[in-house]
Amino acid sequence: MKNCSYVAGIDVGSSATKGILLLDGKPVFKCMLPTGTDLAATARECMRQLLHGNGLTEKDLSFVVSTGYGRARVEEADRTVTEITCHGRGAKALVPRAGLVIDIGGQDSKVIRLDEDGMVADFVMNDKCAAGTGRFLEVMAERLGVSLLDFGRMWKAAKRPVDISSTCTVFAESEVISLLSGGIAPEPIIRGLCDAVADRLLGMVHRVGIAPNVVMTGGVSKNSGVRLSLEKKLSQRVSVPAASQFAGAYGAAIIAHELAQREMTDST
Amino acid sequence: MTQGRNNTIRLHREIAGETRRIKVIRALSRKNWVHSIASLVIDYMQRRGGKPYQIDAIKCFAHDFRSSYLEEKPCIFTSAFVPNELIYGLGGVPFLPEAASGFAASFGLAGESLAACESLWYSPDLCSFHRAGVGASVLELTPTPAAVVVSSHLCDGGKRSLFQISQYHNCPFYILDVPYVHSAQTLDRLARQIEKVAASLEREVPGLSGDHMAEAFANSNAARDYYLNLCNLRTNIPSPWRGSEALNYVVLFLWSWGSPWLTKFYRDLVDHAENIIDTGHYPVENEQLRLGWLNLRPYYSPRLFSYLEEKCQVSIAFEEFSHMYWDRLDASVPYMSLAKKIMANPGWGPLERRLEVIGRIVQDFSIDGVVQFAQWGCRQYNGAASILSDYLKKKGVPFLNLDGDGVDERNSGEAQSLTRLGAFVELLESRKLRKVR
Repeated sequence: MKNCSYVAGIDVGSSATKGILLLDGKPVFKCMLPTGTDLAATARECMRQLLHGNGLTEKDLSFVVSTGYGRARVEEADRTVTEITCHGRGAKALVPRAGLVIDIGGQDSKVIRLDEDGMVADFVMNDKCAAGTGRFLEVMAERLGVSLLDFGRMWKAAKRPVDISSTCTVFAESEVISLLSGGIAPEPIIRGLCDAVADRLLGMVHRVGIAPNVVMTGGVSKNSGVRLSLEKKLSQRVSVPAASQFAGAYGAAIIAHELAQREMTDST
Repeated sequence: MTQGRNNTIRLHREIAGETRRIKVIRALSRKNWVHSIASLVIDYMQRRGGKPYQIDAIKCFAHDFRSSYLEEKPCIFTSAFVPNELIYGLGGVPFLPEAASGFAASFGLAGESLAACESLWYSPDLCSFHRAGVGASVLELTPTPAAVVVSSHLCDGGKRSLFQISQYHNCPFYILDVPYVHSAQTLDRLARQIEKVAASLEREVPGLSGDHMAEAFANSNAARDYYLNLCNLRTNIPSPWRGSEALNYVVLFLWSWGSPWLTKFYRDLVDHAENIIDTGHYPVENEQLRLGWLNLRPYYSPRLFSYLEEKCQVSIAFEEFSHMYWDRLDASVPYMSLAKKIMANPGWGPLERRLEVIGRIVQDFSIDGVVQFAQWGCRQYNGAASILSDYLKKKGVPFLNLDGDGVDERNSGEAQSLTRLGAFVELLESRKLRKVR
């Protein structure tokens, strides 16, 4: 058992790998890099940045928890925990009143209902296709020739959305091409795409049960177009904390801190 | 076999397309020497110390496959919930194409069968247990049916796909129209239907006669007695038998009632479970949680279960499909007895019947959480997910509806399934930890 108070959480997502370093349970450093194709190497680099950025070595870490779809590839991890538990814990730490977490990552989306103690009470994930995920929006943005960061501004510029009938990435892409060739401006198309994603999430929200204080995490939380559509459909405000993309890594780090504390208690 | 039938089958096979591997397997399955070698291999496995119940199960299928592929006895195709005591009682051997799809998936043969079925215009959104069954039948990987008997209850796709199979093979098709409402009149109506089907089978299929009915019923009742004993042993904490293995043997549970091998299988399995409890060498070491499992499992991949049982130390303590739902059969009133067995299935009739059984399983087997394997294309089970979730929520039992496919690998992502199962286990662990505190 290492006698120190640094712990780390690493979230290897399909698009980005995020890392957070905690000292005595408080975040002191974070980093993010594209996941790429070599998951183990990316996780190693993430860990290197966390440690070197603070003048630390591996020996200084008492516990590491990994999460995300590449969680099993993190060689330095003492424990792997699923992204559902980690996003729940991370969102609760970022927004203490959080009751429902909507996490949209690169290849999946999840809705997590938290109980009064902030633990996962129920959850649901999207089915196997990319419908309603970050990858869906990336493909559409590419087709429209706009940046994902512009979605919010363009959503607001649209008077009303165009109805997009499919969230299947392939079908929706051909629908977007038809709309563009029919002379429809990109703004209402973007609002329609955001509505289509929100509609899909709405079904998942109702499956776990709607709750007050909705928090959005994951890469797509930075896309304010989707947030605006969700707020409209849910008829309530959706919080997006500044570190929303780091919720999974933060949750992993919090669990690492708890496990390190438990080990310390057990050993004394 | 008529020339017309041969031509039809050949035409369908040509449309479906067949690989060299399929041709070889089809030819080998009908060779006497292949079945003789299989018997020798089983004997060798037995001598090398194979577990007696596993040997019994292999022998059970080897015996029936030999009889049906070599046409030693009339092979009757049945749908999953037809009481096969009827077929054994008539001196035939049953063959369940839906259950055989699970076998095909375990041996990596499902892909060709599914492709064959789709090339004949079957929609890929139908249940893969049926699609693979139809495909395997068209490719003649299955034995040749002398007749097909289906029941209308529970599964809608089963009777339709088996009707198609009877058309490909140009053999008699019988459907037991199971009444939804349970009453003395409806039971009597069903009993008379079974009697008519039995009489017609005896007339139409050479080699069938009802002389073996008492023997098949006695086998079924003896197996049932051992099985109830096994269920009782499975309430033990920790679990004395791996649920992943029990889910494999659901095939036997659906297939072999009436066969003498089933009696031996359950007798030896009871001995095995008793021995495990006596010695304390449980299959899931340091069992932490107990799951109830609804519907079937993916048969092509063992990874989900090794993850649960070995990594997470979670037992599948009992399965919905392993629930014993019928009373002892009475050979003096065989058709009424089989009618009662069919009507007792808790999956048939109002959903409350199924919920009550699930509630009882949760209680009797000390279940911490329930997983329903939501088989792609299964209307019967997936349609009830929301009511089931509410029912279990009211009882305070967490529920996971795990999307997947038992046969068609293309319809699910293993990593996604592992994440869902992992998160569910974490949820259960955190609940347990808080209860302890």
